[in-house]
Amino acid sequence: MKIPRLLQAVLVLVGVYGGFVLVFDVILEQVIPSSLLNMYMFFVAAGTYMVFTFNEESTEQIVAPIKALVEDPSRKKIRNVVFVVLPLFFGLFTYQQMKPSFEAPLELRTIHPAPPAAVKVFGKRYNLLTLVNPYRKFEKEDPEKFDELVNEGGAVYIKNCQYCHGDKLDGKGPYAQGLNPVPLNFQDVGTIAQLQEAYLFWRISTGGPGLPKEATPWLSAMPVWEDFLTEDEIWKVILFLYDYTGYSPRSWEHE
Amino acid sequence: MRPGFLIKMGGALLVLSLGLLINPVDLPGIDQLGIDAGAAFAADESPAVEEEAVSPYQPAPKLTEKDYPTFLGFNGRVFVWIAAQLHLWFAAFVLAVPIFVFIIEAIGMKTRDKRFDSMAYEFIKVSLTAYSLTAILGGLMAFGLLVFYPHVMGYMTSIFKESMIFYALIFFAESACLYIYYYGWHWLQGPFKKWVHLTIGLLLNAVGTVLMLLANSWLTFMMSPAGIDAAGVFGGDVWVAMHNFLWNPINLHRFVANIAYGGSIIGAYAAFKFLSARTAEEKAHYDWMGYNANFVAIAGLLPLPFAGYYLVAEIYAYSQQMGITLMGGIFAWLFIIQAVLIGTLFLSANYYLWCGLGRSEGGVRYYKYMKYLALAIVAAFLVWFTPHTLVLSNEELKALGGPYHKYLGPLGIMPAKNTAVNIMILVTYLSFLYYRRANKIATVDWVKAGNAAQIALFVMAFANIFFLGIYHGYFTNTVYKVAASIPQVLTTLTVIVISTVIDSFIYKNSKEVAPQRWGRVPPRSQYALFLLAVSFTWLMGLMGYIRSGIRQHWHVMDVFRDNSPDAFTPSLGYATNVISVATIMFMAMVIFVFWLAQISGQKTQTAGFWKE
Amino acid sequence: MKQFLAVIGFSLLTIAGFTGFSNFGIPRIEPAPPPTEEKIDLGAMTMDQFIALGERTLNGKGTCKLCHNELGRAPMLEEIIPNTEKRLADERYKGASKDLAGYIMESMVMPSAYVVAGFGKSGSNDTVSPMPDVSTGSIGLSQAELLAIVAYLQDSGGAEVTVEIPTDVGNAADEEADAEVRDPITDPLEIATEFGCGTCHKIGEDEGDLGPDLTTIGATRDREYLRRSILYPNVDLAEGYEADIMPDDLGDTMFAVEVERITDYLAGLK
Repeated sequence: MKIPRLLQAVLVLVGVYGGFVLVFDVILEQVIPSSLLNMYMFFVAAGTYMVFTFNEESTEQIVAPIKALVEDPSRKKIRNVVFVVLPLFFGLFTYQQMKPSFEAPLELRTIHPAPPAAVKVFGKRYNLLTLVNPYRKFEKEDPEKFDELVNEGGAVYIKNCQYCHGDKLDGKGPYAQGLNPVPLNFQDVGTIAQLQEAYLFWRISTGGPGLPKEATPWLSAMPVWEDFLTEDEIWKVILFLYDYTGYSPRSWEHE
Repeated sequence: MRPGFLIKMGGALLVLSLGLLINPVDLPGIDQLGIDAGAAFAADESPAVEEEAVSPYQPAPKLTEKDYPTFLGFNGRVFVWIAAQLHLWFAAFVLAVPIFVFIIEAIGMKTRDKRFDSMAYEFIKVSLTAYSLTAILGGLMAFGLLVFYPHVMGYMTSIFKESMIFYALIFFAESACLYIYYYGWHWLQGPFKKWVHLTIGLLLNAVGTVLMLLANSWLTFMMSPAGIDAAGVFGGDVWVAMHNFLWNPINLHRFVANIAYGGSIIGAYAAFKFLSARTAEEKAHYDWMGYNANFVAIAGLLPLPFAGYYLVAEIYAYSQQMGITLMGGIFAWLFIIQAVLIGTLFLSANYYLWCGLGRSEGGVRYYKYMKYLALAIVAAFLVWFTPHTLVLSNEELKALGGPYHKYLGPLGIMPAKNTAVNIMILVTYLSFLYYRRANKIATVDWVKAGNAAQIALFVMAFANIFFLGIYHGYFTNTVYKVAASIPQVLTTLTVIVISTVIDSFIYKNSKEVAPQRWGRVPPRSQYALFLLAVSFTWLMGLMGYIRSGIRQHWHVMDVFRDNSPDAFTPSLGYATNVISVATIMFMAMVIFVFWLAQISGQKTQTAGFWKE
Repeated sequence: MKQFLAVIGFSLLTIAGFTGFSNFGIPRIEPAPPPTEEKIDLGAMTMDQFIALGERTLNGKGTCKLCHNELGRAPMLEEIIPNTEKRLADERYKGASKDLAGYIMESMVMPSAYVVAGFGKSGSNDTVSPMPDVSTGSIGLSQAELLAIVAYLQDSGGAEVTVEIPTDVGNAADEEADAEVRDPITDPLEIATEFGCGTCHKIGEDEGDLGPDLTTIGATRDREYLRRSILYPNVDLAEGYEADIMPDDLGDTMFAVEVERITDYLAGLK
């Protein structure tokens, strides 16, 4: 038996919705955020509408049952039911959306807030637009020295950073569980791989309290490393972060 | 006074005696390079110092709230914002229409198909009234700037005075060209005269483009100032100030976007005429016109994302701070709105093409493929839409163990978006290809081979785009990440070009399945054209806000600070409300323009009014 | 007309949809207001106060005296006024100023415009000055401060003060304001950084060689001596070092707790 077009369209929508939930929530075990899923479904619905109505024949088949429901005298009963149930359904939906709950309001964290033009740390003012890692040049000039610097950076990391950011730099250090927001995962392509070293220098030296307002509420537990590390140590640890993860900092030259 | 007090005193005495010898008149206060800012600071108070000035250039003024006049309780920023936006919409329309009118006229001249000529004429007729509105709104914007931002205008004028005068003069040339082009349309017909007319059309476009380039240089100067020092003192070379870092990226982006925008507005005009048409001929004519306008809009839309990426890449290269403000900070959410709008554009453009399959019986053969195209384009669009920062409820946050989503997170960054947009473009092109083939049957004997080649081409292109996106996007460093987008773009463009060539050869001398019946499209498809035009207008407003907004509290980035009460960056909701209001105002004016175009062709027969 | 209204309705709905999504579909973020600018009240300043500001800047924030002193790292500032005319006429002069005020201003922001013979960067044959542009970078003097320095140099050199007090300076001296309200520093090495000890002394990671090496000073000197040397540097002089080199106003600029911390720290270096 051929499934009616309207039912097909509904099945497609339900199927896609179920598919998203199944794939993300069950199979991959990484829930799909409802805000995102709603938008996804809106556009899936738009796409479905397009496919089912771009030609007359198909549109006819979609519209006919709806038209019949509204106009056909023989369907009075079902019409009355639908006309009662549908408003109730939307009413309920709206109520569910709007009713006050104990859920804390959504918090949005901008992971990479825009850096200031200059930052004042270590008693000096650094221009973040032109600041470069003084040790980066050794990568080409003197690889041995560079390796040494990376090792020193690694030592700094192990002594200071790994408790939260993890010994694999994946943000899963021993203390990570206790923190919200969780420590940054440097292995993720969306973090240090997207940034310049000056940006890291800024974030490390001024820590959570140094975040601009747009990245707040800053519950970030990142210490102000300016108070604990030297400038040199920060630059070395930055070398280490990139070296270990295999990423390169975003560079000035757009080659 | 610690060290060498005596030496110092000795020096001072020496200086004192020398100082008496030197006649201060010989020493003008300001040097050529304008390094001495003292005079500038004191300029308002002390005419004496001003008289001494040799360099005409002053550093950027340091303003206070009091330097921004108020006028009748208007909010200066919103006034200038809306006036500028309206001006820009009309200007984009007015600049773009002559470009494709010129092309359509040339096509008509080549094919000797009168329909093209009359369509081109109708297009230019619509843009004529829009032209004077552009000038009026430009004047309103300039007036707003002078009233509300006199110091800013003063500073900008001091640097760009030559190009501003030139701009005003060139407006005469533009008007002359446009009026001759329009009013001489029917006069300049015939083998030789048509050439003259076409040349005037070319001239009109050249002048229009120069106008746009000049105006662009002023605004890009505000974003990426050049030719001035850190205090804003102008070095004297206007070309350096014009040819600033972001000038060309903006030029390219605007040029391409204008064409797409002009096409979409004309499309809306045709759609409205189609819907209100009474006769089959009228319907057929406006359907055809709408189709052509939509074709122009899509042709402009396809390269637009590339121009956009080029612009953003250059913004990043100019200043990481500006780049992150744009893509990572609060404006990141504007790009989610932008994604929705661009998705809308692509979806409605595709939908319009699919609806067009119904114009002939032959299109039915391809109905079954549309669902796969829809699948591909929606899937690509969902990737394009996925934000970098996910909005998570507390429960979801807990379930994920943090704000990072293992699988959706990687979709939030550029390589995924690049891949998605290339797929969207290719699919849109495929829609167009199907449409082109709808009513044709190839007669050449290598049809199979040709089709196989095209299929192979597309498969390879998709594979290559995915490979570049995934491999270079996620497994190499950032330099390659950005670099990978270039071969992706090249793949897309190559496929479009080669496939068009192959297709045109396959369908050379092809047979028609059934007569192409213009006018046989559902009204729904016409609403797709409206959606295209409205989304495009709104999107341009949004992008204008972003482009201007990333300067934050600077008139001229990092040089000339905005100290007005409105220096703050408005919240997204507020900004989009302003954009919506401006869009509605624009729509009202466009309706007026269309209405004028309509009544100009109407004649009322009066009996007994005039003396016989 | 019906069509017209339908189209208008459709367009308005589309716009409403976009507006609604932008207002409610994405998180509502209030962008941070522009950073405020701190101002020094120059309007109420007399020329004497302005000159005093110049002196403070020269000795303090400008860090000019670190090099422009008798140790020969840079030319003495007292030599400017007698030599300006000569320098401006010199063929090696690359700047564009015509008078004293312009020349001093230029020297601060374009130090290489004229390099006094013998003071250029090594190897540059006196064409490049080792001095930074003091209006940028970590020194970052504001226009007002630069002008104040010009005024001070003109005044102290006995020339006529030709600069005017700027009436509005934008983000003039936020540093100045900072300095007045700063909190005491607790970390001894940071104290050393703040007061520039490392420029002349070997301390922490700094390797200054103009003053005595402090890395093992605690082994030979007691706390009393160290404290006295900080507050009154000319009282006890280490052998081989001259008087009047170390600033003698540290007692005015340091917090008592800072003096104690750094004394403790130095005494502990053995």
